[in-house]
Amino acid sequence: MSETTYTQLLQLSAGLLLLCAVLIVWRRSLGAHIRLLAVQGWALAGLVAVLGLHEHSAELLWVSVLVATLKGVVLPAVLARATASDRTRAREETPLINTTAALLAVSFLTMLAYLVSRPVLALGSTAAVAAVPVGMAMALFGFLVLSTRRHAVSQLIGFLLLDNGIATVAFLTAGGVPLVVELGVSLDVLLVVLILRVLTSRIRTEYGDADLDDMTELRD
Amino acid sequence: MTPVELALDTQLVLVLAGVVAAIAAPPRLRSLLAGVLSALLGLAGVLTGAWALAGRHGVVELPTALSLGPVTLDPTPLGGFFMVVAGAVGAVAAVFAIGYASGPAASRTSWVALAVFLGAMQLVPAAGDLVSFLLMWELMALASTVLVLTEHAGRAEVRTAALWYAAMTHLSFVLVLLGFTVLAHAGGGIDWASMSRVDPTSRTAAVAFLLLVAGFATKAGVVPVHVWLPRAHPAAPSHVSAVMSAAMVKMGVYGVLLVSIRLMPGGPAWWGAVVVGLGAVSAVYGILQASVASDLKRLLGYSTTENIGLIFLALGTALILRAHQVSAAGDAALLACLLLVASHAAFKATLFLGAGSVLHATGERDLDRMGGLVSRLPVTATAFGIGALGAAALPVTAGFVAEWTLLQAVIHGGRPHDRMVAVTMPIAVSVVALTAGLALVTFVKAYGIAFLARARSDGAAQAHEASPSMRAAMLIAACVVLILGLVPGALAQAAARAVGLPAGSAVTQVGFTHLGARLEPLAVLVLVGVMVTAVALIAKAAARKVPRREVELAWGGGGVRASARMQYTATSYAEPLTRVFDDALRPERDVVVTHAGESRYLVERVQFHQHVVDLVEDRMYRPMLTLVERLGVAGRRLQNGSIHRYLAYSFFALVVVLVVVAL
Repeated sequence: MSETTYTQLLQLSAGLLLLCAVLIVWRRSLGAHIRLLAVQGWALAGLVAVLGLHEHSAELLWVSVLVATLKGVVLPAVLARATASDRTRAREETPLINTTAALLAVSFLTMLAYLVSRPVLALGSTAAVAAVPVGMAMALFGFLVLSTRRHAVSQLIGFLLLDNGIATVAFLTAGGVPLVVELGVSLDVLLVVLILRVLTSRIRTEYGDADLDDMTELRD
Repeated sequence: MTPVELALDTQLVLVLAGVVAAIAAPPRLRSLLAGVLSALLGLAGVLTGAWALAGRHGVVELPTALSLGPVTLDPTPLGGFFMVVAGAVGAVAAVFAIGYASGPAASRTSWVALAVFLGAMQLVPAAGDLVSFLLMWELMALASTVLVLTEHAGRAEVRTAALWYAAMTHLSFVLVLLGFTVLAHAGGGIDWASMSRVDPTSRTAAVAFLLLVAGFATKAGVVPVHVWLPRAHPAAPSHVSAVMSAAMVKMGVYGVLLVSIRLMPGGPAWWGAVVVGLGAVSAVYGILQASVASDLKRLLGYSTTENIGLIFLALGTALILRAHQVSAAGDAALLACLLLVASHAAFKATLFLGAGSVLHATGERDLDRMGGLVSRLPVTATAFGIGALGAAALPVTAGFVAEWTLLQAVIHGGRPHDRMVAVTMPIAVSVVALTAGLALVTFVKAYGIAFLARARSDGAAQAHEASPSMRAAMLIAACVVLILGLVPGALAQAAARAVGLPAGSAVTQVGFTHLGARLEPLAVLVLVGVMVTAVALIAKAAARKVPRREVELAWGGGGVRASARMQYTATSYAEPLTRVFDDALRPERDVVVTHAGESRYLVERVQFHQHVVDLVEDRMYRPMLTLVERLGVAGRRLQNGSIHRYLAYSFFALVVVLVVVAL
């Protein structure tokens, strides 16, 4: 693969990642969130595959297969089942800040991510390093979603967005993670999502709703 | 091993032995064993102090788990003086406690805390460096807090008192720690020698001095940081109040002396003015509150504030006069400070033990419900009477000698034509005079209402004399008050040695050749004795010519069976004072009149209720506490249980950190 193709593919996947993240913040429907998350998972897998091809590393290609399976297929499926049982409430009705404000916050956070990454960018001028701010921005978006959405499934989506951001930064800066470590991290994420999914359905059966603002008894 | 080292080691061993005895001894023997060991601990303290005063040296180093090095004990003559005071009070109080302690006060915790308290208190003045000092100081504070809490299960006010005490004692610790940190930083080391290298006229020294004086004043119970004192004393068991009031608050005085005489001698005159100001306000405010108090132990607590005020007044006078090179009067004031420390320790221990005996006998702390105890508790009455004489600073007691010395100093101090001295000294004289007068009223009230006349309650009517150990302790303490008053020279010599002054007194007298003043209590006693005999003889001779009259009880309406309720009570005795000082005391009065039937003129019942609040507490601390409480309630809003809010906190924190990093 020529250097130009590599750079362009890398920038394409990074752009796709950021676009999906912004769209997650924009959209309110949980179904759309899950689909976007799946696309983002495939984009991440693509990014890893591009890196693997560029560095001729078979291990990274295996990692990309793993990422695609987990983030592109398994996790969205698990989330889809969580929302499937409750079709009527599959929307984030009243987020704590409205969409306009959220999009403004997103632009601010993207700027911040680029500003903060200046020391990292100064390390080298490769295409991989140049894409690092995208990962940072995704992590910040994830945090934003976590702290402004009320629905329990939205929390999961925020968490996964955060995780995708961290993974992106890791792949871009470290030039890939050993397969064993990636396997461990992926299993962790899977486990967390499964537990939270069970918890969400328990919350719903207990309170008849998955709105976390109804649960403010846990203090003192 | 020098005698001082041996005595210090003995103290440490005795503390351990006391703790072990308190834990391991069977309940029947616990009080006896632990009490005897604590008394021996006190005596060991007296011995150590006496040797240190005599100029012997000795250093004991205890290895600790701290990273700051060993605890160093290295008593100086000044520390030795305070060790003698603390040890003597501790010994007497421990003997008293053998018979007095019962219920929670005789528990394992209580005896362990007492042994630790006495040990730590005796070792505070022996500390050879800052870390040892602070360690002992905090150990003393901790153990005394446990002791104040002794009766927490039965009485709600004990818990409040302990809370106040703990808060104020921590404030004191924090201030002292800050002050010493400033000093150690400026001096370049945490031993006393490095700290004494700081220039006393520098700004750093001034900051350190103010912080340290504030911290030590809190421990000493000086107005306006005295609020713990009148609460903690009624709450604690009496032997503990005796130790706290007679010895522990003196550690605050030791702290100020340590800073102003030993570490930074030659400070500017305004240091003295600060100390005099604190002392004057405390003396007047303390005795004013004491004079209208009707709870006996609260009265004694306020009286402690008054005496500490006088001690501060003496010390401040000494600092001012030394700064103005009026050395003769300055030395006399410094001597007066130490004499006041010793005499207050003696008479306040006697008084608190006496109050404990009264409480033990009648179950009452309220003076308005006592009376007639002199016939039922003769030993307690004698001891308390001697203590009250001392507190009122009347002749033949230690209190008189000390106040006389203080007056000599302030009267002779006003000679140079300096503005500050010319203003301070007359104020000091008038404060001492007012305080002395009010103290007389206060203790006439305390003794007269409690011990004379008739019993005002069943408890007082059925009182029984204390156990032998309690009687012995009270009599020993009372004897010390008399001995220090009759033969004050030895104490004056010791005090002079403690602060490095030439000993100008013989054993039987206190004298200041430069001031042309000399006091010989024994001569005074003989003189008074001769005069009283002469008056008595003359009166007897004159009485022969006048026919004998029968005097019946006044207010008896011709009958002798007057009700005990027709007597003066503590409240009514202090009523004129309450009126005179109405603006300063602001008592809350409540009169409820119940009319008989429809009549406007016939009264069935009149209820009078008077409550004197502590103005400082009411005006200064209450608003502060309300504010803190409000802030606390407002603070709860930060934590309302919403997950989003908690997430938002960390998110915002992250963003802020990133922004700061990015900029």
